[in-house]
Amino acid sequence: MENQIKSNFEKVISKLSFTNAQKEIKEKNIDNFLKKGFPTKRLEDWKFSDLKQIISNNFEDLNFLNENNTELKKDEIIEDLEANKLIFVNGVLFNVDFKYENLEKIEIEKNADLNEEVNQNALLNLNSAFVSNYIKVTIKTGYQFKKPLVMYNYLTEELNSSGINTRLDLDLENNVELDIVNVSNKSSNKNFLNFRQKINIGQNSILKNYSLDTNQTESIKYTHKEINLSKNSHLEYFILSTGSKFLKHDINCSLNSEYGSISLNGIINLNNDQHHEIKTVINHNEENCKSYQLIKSVLNDDSKGVYQGKIFVDPKAQKTDGYQLSRALLLNESVEFNAKPELEIYADDVKCSHGSTSGNIDENSIFYLMSRGLSYSDSKKLLTNGFLNEVIEKITNENIKNFVKKTTGIEV
Amino acid sequence: MLSIENLKAKIDEKEILKGLNLNIKPGEVHAIMGPNGSGKSTLSNILSGKKGYEVNGNIKFEGENLLELETEERAHKGIFLAFQYPLEIPGVNTNTFLKTSINAIKKARGEKELDAIEFLKLIKQKSSELKFDQAILNRQLNVGFSGGEKKKNEILQMSILDPKLSILDETDSGLDIDALRIVSEGVNSLRNKNNSFLIITHYQRLLDYIKPDFVHLLKNGQIIKSGNFELAKELEKVGYENFN
Amino acid sequence: MTTKKQEFKMDSRQKEIENLKDYKYGFSTDIENIRAPKGLSEEVIKFISKIKKEPEWMLNFRLKAFERFKQLKEPNWQKPKYPKIDYQDLYYYSAPKSMKDKPKSLDELDPKLLETYKKLGIPLQEQARLNGIAVDAVFDSVSVATTFKEELTKQGIIFCSMSEAIQKHSELVKKYLGTVIPTTDHFFATLNSAVFTDGSFVYIPEGVKCPMELSTYFRINASETGQFERTLIIADKGSYVSYLEGCTAPMRDENQLHAANVELIALDDAEIKYSTVQNWYPGDKDGKGGIYNFVTKRGLCKGKNSKISWTQVETGSAITWKYPSCILKGDNSVGEFYSIAITNNHQKADTGTKMIHLGKNTKSKIISKGISAGQSDMMYRGLVDISSKADNSRNFTQCDSLLMGNKCGAHTIPYIKNKNLKSNIEHEATTSKISDEQLYYCNQRGLNQEEAVSLIVNGFCKEVLQQLPMEFAVEAQKLVGISLEGSVG
Ligand SMILES: Nc1ncnc2c1ncn2[C@@H]1O[C@H](COP(=O)(O)OP(=O)(O)O)[C@@H](O)[C@H]1O
Ligand SMILES: [Mg+2]
Repeated sequence: MENQIKSNFEKVISKLSFTNAQKEIKEKNIDNFLKKGFPTKRLEDWKFSDLKQIISNNFEDLNFLNENNTELKKDEIIEDLEANKLIFVNGVLFNVDFKYENLEKIEIEKNADLNEEVNQNALLNLNSAFVSNYIKVTIKTGYQFKKPLVMYNYLTEELNSSGINTRLDLDLENNVELDIVNVSNKSSNKNFLNFRQKINIGQNSILKNYSLDTNQTESIKYTHKEINLSKNSHLEYFILSTGSKFLKHDINCSLNSEYGSISLNGIINLNNDQHHEIKTVINHNEENCKSYQLIKSVLNDDSKGVYQGKIFVDPKAQKTDGYQLSRALLLNESVEFNAKPELEIYADDVKCSHGSTSGNIDENSIFYLMSRGLSYSDSKKLLTNGFLNEVIEKITNENIKNFVKKTTGIEV
Repeated sequence: MLSIENLKAKIDEKEILKGLNLNIKPGEVHAIMGPNGSGKSTLSNILSGKKGYEVNGNIKFEGENLLELETEERAHKGIFLAFQYPLEIPGVNTNTFLKTSINAIKKARGEKELDAIEFLKLIKQKSSELKFDQAILNRQLNVGFSGGEKKKNEILQMSILDPKLSILDETDSGLDIDALRIVSEGVNSLRNKNNSFLIITHYQRLLDYIKPDFVHLLKNGQIIKSGNFELAKELEKVGYENFN
Repeated sequence: MTTKKQEFKMDSRQKEIENLKDYKYGFSTDIENIRAPKGLSEEVIKFISKIKKEPEWMLNFRLKAFERFKQLKEPNWQKPKYPKIDYQDLYYYSAPKSMKDKPKSLDELDPKLLETYKKLGIPLQEQARLNGIAVDAVFDSVSVATTFKEELTKQGIIFCSMSEAIQKHSELVKKYLGTVIPTTDHFFATLNSAVFTDGSFVYIPEGVKCPMELSTYFRINASETGQFERTLIIADKGSYVSYLEGCTAPMRDENQLHAANVELIALDDAEIKYSTVQNWYPGDKDGKGGIYNFVTKRGLCKGKNSKISWTQVETGSAITWKYPSCILKGDNSVGEFYSIAITNNHQKADTGTKMIHLGKNTKSKIISKGISAGQSDMMYRGLVDISSKADNSRNFTQCDSLLMGNKCGAHTIPYIKNKNLKSNIEHEATTSKISDEQLYYCNQRGLNQEEAVSLIVNGFCKEVLQQLPMEFAVEAQKLVGISLEGSVG
């Protein structure tokens, strides 16, 4: 596979017109990737999800040449939601639609230059090597979006055994408010997706990011987010992880100034042999910041769920309030749940705690419901819905909350 | 025994005590009454040396400048504060705490420390005097105690540590009649010509049992009126509002 | 009018603390030693084996481990990093000369050795019988005295040095040694298998409840010496034993390596309680010197209804790096881990446990209390692994950290793996500091800052201290107080 990736890379470089400086950066990145390869469980960050194994189980070959034949079936976009849209087809930006907004306040750069950065993460190396349209979106100071922005990732039917790398940076200047929804379409072919996003949230700005992996796909997917928060800014991040075959959310947030706050909530709900992981790092780098995390997993059939969450508190970050809770329900004999909740704390005037539970559904509650006439499976469904609903209730955008309830079948 | 002269106290730039004067002689019992937020707890905390206040003025205790002493040194000299909200300290056995405390004070005074047997004897005697259920002393300090149990525990500590000046900060709040009587008996049994008391309360009830020599009204950070037991009755009848 | 902020004046107290900080056990004893040649080689291993008059199989066990050791790389995933150890620059065997022809009774023991143990507060004399604790003392690398032997023998209990066990109870040692920690385990465990010099051996026969606490004291005395003890405890069916281990070392500028292996085996219905109070020399205030305590401790609940319980109070050592673990193989077996770890000044600790659930209805409980002060760094690292066969198993973990000051760190990493839907894992962790309000309350009752801290910290650790046998609990409480002196101001 490595050889193919290398020859793919050489073709990409010769075909597309990059400046010499850009070429050089890309070459460094591909070298780094080839040196390390896909991450294995020997790496601490991949302890519970051996990507190399997963890739070799699912692909004989992986094609990283983007053919760019883009076509889109309209009906696939979530239509119930009035929203602005950024549509990507097979990883390439296809359509930009900000029809509800003041366009003067939104700036889009479609082919940004890569910076030289030393990166230990092999998948980010791979991303930098292959990404062809690096997009930067800036929202100007003081602008508050009227409607949410849907980022829609559409894979065409022909796409198969392909590797897709995208990169998007989002810069919210000061006093900006924006709600984002990440979604993708159904697809029955196997592809490897490597999405990278870097987000800055300016002073007093609020970002709500709803990452919804609801459509069944055979994709093997890695999404990497780096989110930096300024003074008095707020991030609400929500994950609904149920569609992809393999999905790892790698979310890295830094509270870089006072009074920032993060509420990060997630659901992993899996069937068959799905395998999903949520990995979070919250860096408390300055005083008086708060972070709250709640992750719940429901595992059926032969699925596997993983939560790795780390709270880091810098010596400067006194008066930090950090909380993290992971709970998992195991509903079948051959499921597996792994957790690694981590606290690394260097300041003494802080309140930090984490909790993690995993186990089966409470048989007493099932018994109670059955004694009131429900079937076993209805009782179980009711209880798991109740279990997950607590997380969904954390969503503060009502339209999106309702949309999530509908897609998960949780109506209360 | 205690003389407070023009005491002013600020916390976070907020002025709480604004020039308070008070004299307590050996053997006297003084009561302080006053509306919520008038600075009563602040006064007791300053007498005990709690950190965080910006303090101006003079406080002399038995001729010594009290403000120069640390909290535990004041305790060694015989100042005891029964807290309005006694703290919970998880994992620390109440008996262990009492023993450590009494021996720290004895040691500082150059007296012989109590061994386990002497201590148990003392505890037994005091808790039966105060009708205090000894089983509670084997529990963690104040953890899971009811409000009344916490207050009684403060009084038990007071009687064991045998202080010269006891400050009771709203010890009567939240007590039923029986507990109130027990607390008063605790105070009265310690009362003699050398020991003094400063009793902070809202209710005349407690004062019926304890009979203070003086009653003061604290309002807006100052003592605006002083008198005898009659003042307490009057205050309870007409309310703090009508005094200026 | 005077103006005075109410502040604590710490100067005089600071001085007092400096004086207290001296390591109480920091004397060294002037005794002539027999040493193996410096360095690690087949020859040195043969030397050790020969001087100990070991049977052939034992030598082969060592050589096999050494072969493996040569292929292993020193791990470096742990949090506390340490300068490279030159394994060729250590002595692997050092024994007081007078031990060469082992004394038959305590009366023949070198008086200087007896003196040393007396200074440590460990009674070796038979009149110490009153204490009701049987003691095996290990000085540098060899066991120097075991008390109460006859009493124990009457009940069929074997409590002796490992060297003696290898000679006299060869079949038992051969059957169990290396079954919990294989010779091919990780770097330090393998090194130990190759060069271990002595340690304690315990066998409790079927149905016997050991009538007294068994105890080993370890002391490192010689300089430039690594200490590699090996302890093996076997509790046969239905038996019970409580075992204590204490450690001290003299103050030395250089770092000293201590890499012991401890194996516990509990058969059907047997229970082993293993307690450690570790107070190796932690190095000075600036982080110079001190012991590297890299120990492998593992217990196998082999039989059904068996139980292994680890309790540790770790206050010493420059670096502590250990995870006393339980393999819960027998159905209904129980594993427990109670830990207090305190780091001050420049000490570092990376410690925790592993609970591997293999049998059905297995239970484990982890209570860990970490306290860091000064510029120290404390890590809890633990694994709870419930396999797909371990139906109806449970784990409960509570991990609390207390930070004192903001130059130190507390790091908690639990690895939690659940492959069984009928089993539950519960984990909780908190990080906090001692509140000013709590200190004020204690001060008001006459306790000074040090006393108040010691009291509150002992409260914080209570659940673990309760697990220790009485005689040790008192010692441990004091140790908790002493270890933190000078850390709050
Ligand atoms: N730590 C503090 N920070 C700010 N204000 C405080 C603090 N402690 C007390 N105060 C304020 O000081 C005033 C007096 O409080 P206190 O002495 O507790 O009153 P009292 O006991 O008479 O009800 C109140 O207004 C209270 O809110
Ligand atoms: Mg008050």
